[in-house]
Amino acid sequence: MAIHERSLVEPERIVRKERLVIDGVDVSGDWNLIILPRVINDYDLDFAKEIINSPDGKTINQCYQCSYCTASCPVHNYWDERYNPRHFIYLARLGMIDELQKRADVMWRCVSCHKCTHRCPKGVLVEEVLKVILRTMAKKGLIDEYPSKKFDKFFTESVLEYGRIEDGELLFGWIEKQGYNVVKDPILKKPIPFLGETPEWLKQLVMKPIKSMNVSFLVLNAKHMLFHPRTKNWNKFKQVLRKVMQEEGALT
Amino acid sequence: MGVIGKRVAYYPGCSLEGAARSYDVSTKIVARELGLELDYLEDYNCCGAMESKNVTFMGTMLLNARNMSLARKQGHDVIVAPCNGCSFSLQRAEYFLQTDGKVFERVNSLLREGGVDPLDKIPETYHILEWFYHEAGPQKVKEKTKRPLRGLKVANYYGCLYTRPHFYAKTYAHAGGQEEEVRPRRRETADDDEHPYYMNALLEAAGATSVEFEPMHTQCCGGPHSLSDEQVSEKFVMMILQTAKRNGADIIATECPLCHASLEMYRHRLMMKGVPDVDVPAAYFTQLLGLAFGYSANDVKLKDNLSDPLPVLKRLGLA
Repeated sequence: MAIHERSLVEPERIVRKERLVIDGVDVSGDWNLIILPRVINDYDLDFAKEIINSPDGKTINQCYQCSYCTASCPVHNYWDERYNPRHFIYLARLGMIDELQKRADVMWRCVSCHKCTHRCPKGVLVEEVLKVILRTMAKKGLIDEYPSKKFDKFFTESVLEYGRIEDGELLFGWIEKQGYNVVKDPILKKPIPFLGETPEWLKQLVMKPIKSMNVSFLVLNAKHMLFHPRTKNWNKFKQVLRKVMQEEGALT
Repeated sequence: MGVIGKRVAYYPGCSLEGAARSYDVSTKIVARELGLELDYLEDYNCCGAMESKNVTFMGTMLLNARNMSLARKQGHDVIVAPCNGCSFSLQRAEYFLQTDGKVFERVNSLLREGGVDPLDKIPETYHILEWFYHEAGPQKVKEKTKRPLRGLKVANYYGCLYTRPHFYAKTYAHAGGQEEEVRPRRRETADDDEHPYYMNALLEAAGATSVEFEPMHTQCCGGPHSLSDEQVSEKFVMMILQTAKRNGADIIATECPLCHASLEMYRHRLMMKGVPDVDVPAAYFTQLLGLAFGYSANDVKLKDNLSDPLPVLKRLGLA
């Protein structure tokens, strides 16, 4: 198959020579650039099928590669040009897993702003499709753990356990997962914001309501940190939720 | 106007009962002043926000279907959520439940299994800003304003998911791509999709001046990655704050607790790094409306805002 995607041409496959004679014809000068042929035969066609079969990924086949999503994408425009939603959809549909894997370090960077989905002229749920691609890759073990997935799982587990989330626990729990040494009290195992090596900005932010003597705010949040807010009658529903998530392979 | 209903189910979301308490309190104040009634959704659960949906599809459908079922039990057809993430999640579930019969059936049987009433009808979700605009409107806000926000230059920050994507928020009728029955339709009450103006209109009715803020008014703040992808979030927030400051804004008005927290957190970090032009404070639009309606800074809990908008408001004699 011909390569018609410029970014699929690896730098080492581009050859430039000072003097080049082919079949007795001197092609030096502007004509001396050669792209070495490349054979691809490991298309994983089941990969696209799996995406199409999921309810949130089935619009992937409507894509006609116009690149409106990429043009709208803030991560592409303001952060890293290698983040290219159109290209990821292209690769996923072809089943070129190795090419997706080469971009694993930027693929997770989607901030879910939905500009792509909103503007797509073909009605592709682009953001959902990209997340399904990532989810499927993770499920098949084709991609290493990435920061946003760690956070997503951490968040979802908190929802599953209590029915509600709590900002303080989320913040300090995440800091701890980042490798900071968060000190917890011995009985309730709750983080103590002022001890341990919390980052400086977080310490200063925690100090703000204390400095302004905002007592009711402090009491409310301390109460929530000590006694996690819960949804009543959650247990039976939790079982069903856990079962569904296990079916999808979301809990490992 | 008046097509949504004066009495609706109120889904505050987890954030508003904790760190974003000020948004909850000021929303209730504004609703009461405007003659609208919020019926608290008893025993709700988290919507899954932007995080859970990346891990599990059916799980988020179930989480939101449970909330919808609770709203139906309380006799409501309309849910109002003040958070972009919550309204997005509910609207997303609404979209898939309506367009995918298989998902709907599966969700209903799972709800029954989990001891929750199955859905007889799928309630519609609105963002609270849309509801305020359509059930009360700028005219009513003008009537109720006792202390106009004169001289206050506001940058109205809408965030991503208030108008996007049109499939869920119903802000835009799309022509192409999908089959007739699943093709989205524009909701009559919906805000403009690329140039939202409801918050501008309400705050201007209360006497404030809106500064030019496009296209940063719907630029992402980092959203679900505010904690997991610090570099990108920091850059996005820097762009938002600097645009606001350089366009002459005194304050940024927000309408989502996640955007608000992200702006405040990164504002602090950027200031620590000595980045110029990022010192614009943020306040919820309901807090500003509350001030205009004659409530004190303490009533709308302005102290809760970590970016501390009090000095700016005091300078203009508004708090």
